[in-house]
Amino acid sequence: MTISKISEVEFGETLPAFQPDTTMPNVRRFAKAAGWEGGRFTDHDHARKEGLPGALVPGIMSQGFLSAMIHHWAPAAQIKNVDTVFRAPVIVDQVYSISGVVTDIDLDSGRVEIDLTVTNEANETRVFGTAKVLLPI
Amino acid sequence: MSQELDIEAMKSQFLNEVFDVQHFVADAKALADYAAACGETAPQFTDPSHPDFQAPPTFASSFHAGRRMPENFPTLPGLGMDAGKAVQSIKPIRPGVTLTGKSHMHDIYTKTGRSGRMVFFVIRMEIFDESDTQLASADTSVVIRERPST
Repeated sequence: MTISKISEVEFGETLPAFQPDTTMPNVRRFAKAAGWEGGRFTDHDHARKEGLPGALVPGIMSQGFLSAMIHHWAPAAQIKNVDTVFRAPVIVDQVYSISGVVTDIDLDSGRVEIDLTVTNEANETRVFGTAKVLLPI
Repeated sequence: MSQELDIEAMKSQFLNEVFDVQHFVADAKALADYAAACGETAPQFTDPSHPDFQAPPTFASSFHAGRRMPENFPTLPGLGMDAGKAVQSIKPIRPGVTLTGKSHMHDIYTKTGRSGRMVFFVIRMEIFDESDTQLASADTSVVIRERPST
């Protein structure tokens, strides 16, 4: 179910789960578009030579996943702020899921606050974020 | 020997002074690819022919400053790591517009735990269009762990 206006949102509501595309072809596409084509993002061998466990999904791509997830839930949402904390690396070609929960609602202004978490298959948090969005009143 | 940074002195010397100015022009195809790779599906983000086509709301985080820290900034006692990013979207970023990114040190603060003190540096880039209207801001937090006193 998608949300079209603030009155449809409930406090504590969970957003539909979102599984981001962290495959190498998609990360390379992103890296090229962002101008972030360093080997640590686009080549597992290069990243391992730098001592990393594998190529990294850029932090700004994780931030973009959070924004896309919100738009899947509420297509008319205007995303005003996204604040992300990188707790641990997100590795290319590994499987992640993103969960979100509504933590604050202001019916008068249409403002909603959402906590978002990127977790790996072991359910370990890799990225935590908070978003402030505006919905139609 | 203690490696502790003098936080208050750094704040008084470096906060809120613009230390870098860069110019950018966003390309429509790159914006669409950026959005699609992140999983956006709305045509206003993925279709350059859409009448309201614009960058996805977190795009401002992708801009690089020309220098990471202000000139004459003290050498940090450790390797800085990216601790997080925050982006504020004020008005849409459109393709083909010359953007100006002005960076300043927005905050310096510490957190202390069992393993010592960590120092966080928040560098903010504010993005303006050709008429000097602010469109967005993007914060990058860099953290270093200070070596304990011996």
